[in-house]
Amino acid sequence: MSANARRHRKARWHYMWRSRGTAYLFMLPWMIGFCAFMAFPIGWSLYLSFQKVKLTGGGLFSYEFVGLQNFKDALFKDNVYPIELISFFQQMILMVPVILIFSLLVAVMLNQNFKGRFIYRAIFFLPVIFSTGQVLTELFQQGAGNVPFLSQYGADAFIKENFSPAMAATITELLGMTILILWSSGVQILIFIAGFQTISKSIYEAVRIDGASPWTSFWKITLPGIKPFIGLNLLYTMVDLFTFPFNPVMEQIKLNMFNVSTGYGYASALAWFYFLLIIVLILIILWFLNRSSRERRG
Amino acid sequence: MKAETVMKQLTSQARLILIGRRSQKLKLLLLGQHINDGMAAKLFLYFMLSIVSYLYLQPFFYMISTMLKSLGDLLDPTVQWIPRVIDWGNLQKALDGLNYSESLVNTLTLAVVPSLISVLICSLTGYALARLQFPGKNLFFALIFITFLIPPQIIIIPLYVIYSKLGWLDSPFVFIIPALFGQGLKSALFIIIFRQFFLSLPKALEEAAMIDGASMFRLFFRIIIPLSVPACLVVFLFSFVWHWNEGYLSSMFLTHDFIPLSTRLSNLETEIFGQAPSMEMLAVNPVTEGTKMAGAFLIVFPPLLVYMIAQRWFVEGIERTGLVD
Repeated sequence: MSANARRHRKARWHYMWRSRGTAYLFMLPWMIGFCAFMAFPIGWSLYLSFQKVKLTGGGLFSYEFVGLQNFKDALFKDNVYPIELISFFQQMILMVPVILIFSLLVAVMLNQNFKGRFIYRAIFFLPVIFSTGQVLTELFQQGAGNVPFLSQYGADAFIKENFSPAMAATITELLGMTILILWSSGVQILIFIAGFQTISKSIYEAVRIDGASPWTSFWKITLPGIKPFIGLNLLYTMVDLFTFPFNPVMEQIKLNMFNVSTGYGYASALAWFYFLLIIVLILIILWFLNRSSRERRG
Repeated sequence: MKAETVMKQLTSQARLILIGRRSQKLKLLLLGQHINDGMAAKLFLYFMLSIVSYLYLQPFFYMISTMLKSLGDLLDPTVQWIPRVIDWGNLQKALDGLNYSESLVNTLTLAVVPSLISVLICSLTGYALARLQFPGKNLFFALIFITFLIPPQIIIIPLYVIYSKLGWLDSPFVFIIPALFGQGLKSALFIIIFRQFFLSLPKALEEAAMIDGASMFRLFFRIIIPLSVPACLVVFLFSFVWHWNEGYLSSMFLTHDFIPLSTRLSNLETEIFGQAPSMEMLAVNPVTEGTKMAGAFLIVFPPLLVYMIAQRWFVEGIERTGLVD
């Protein structure tokens, strides 16, 4: 009896470890890659952010431990970085809602049934293909991204008169980036359209029979139904803006990386501080999303 | 008195016209039974969508129109969209400057090979995260999510040192090997997409296969992969396009050999003259915006072609993968 039980336990143990072994085998490439191409470089750059790095002859680095000096310099001595950081966050706060609302509107329109929506969809997904890359940079440098009607109708003068100078600057900048905003909302539109498919058609029919107008059915059915997708889009937009090629903070980091007097240690301190800010922001958002979804369930 | 009866008759006639069957039909046609199926709503929809589409397409139009302009047309403020003479010289110059045939092969290799590998590796990892049980699963998932957020700027110098020690610089390995280990371009996102997709598949099939004694790998390659063709396609297309457009990493790692199109475009002037051009050289043989746009067009054209062909699967595939639940 006891031998039998032991054999039984041994067999179970054997079975469990075999299935776990297969699972780890599935994960193995990722785990190796994570250690080699992620964890190690991240650890190294974290180490560097506390050092003063000097390039000595022959492509070797010399390190000198400076503690938190790099971070202190970045925040209190550098006269570009904190300003860029603040203006980046200002821009982000403005751009994120604009992108979300715009992509939601477009997704709603594209979700309607009409002739030729195939063509429109194809056009609207184009940015998914080109919104990254050298080509877009080239286009925007030449001003192809300018909005033609902005200065024509005196919109910028109107804004200057009606807002405080700081606000006006941000708003005109934002308007100037209209096309950029459009171009960075491709994936979000996709996600929203995918989200609409998860709400079953029969619910809409039911409310229609009950006499609800499309307006109310949008607010009462569609919007609550795609709540998780709004959260997802919020996160995606933030991450996207965060690693955006035109992002001024990124430029700053890149500049300092190849600057002899500041060096790579300082640049990685800048990058790390920026990264920590974003992580904190995203954690706060995740916490909110989690809480709201729990409230909904409970 | 008489006026009153005339008025009454008129109003009743008006009412008849208003409520009459024909007008009802007209109204139905215009406004529809519900807000979103009448003519008026349709027209509004087309109008709005067309405006936004114009904004989307404007950079493309700009690119094509500028590409065909000669120097005179570029400087002439009266020429806006349509050039007076169509100048193919820009295209020719860009073809030479980009060293097109060679860099096209480079870019194609850098896009196709890592994308195919990414599909395989990310689907394996995504499947393990979706269906298999093992300790530390949540930790791995959190780590994957964090790697998605890490800006490449943080790790680029350490990576450069690693790659140069291993001798991979200026070879396609800098993209292929990380992809092979699930750390390629945006691999974290692809793993998450696959995970979500596998979660939405019915479990019964896998259970049946398990009972029939199929091994995990057999099950995965014989049953799961054939079922997830749409997800694979979406991941492949995304990965292809992102690799194609990738400019930052390749400008760091691929500087002497195996140079892709994007790097060539950003150094177009140097590439055309074989050295950094002086003022006199530019005066004789100017590299105009037209040339740059021609270069941009040459880069955009191949993925655009792929998109036109694969568009249908792309759009439908994304809707069917149910990206996130």
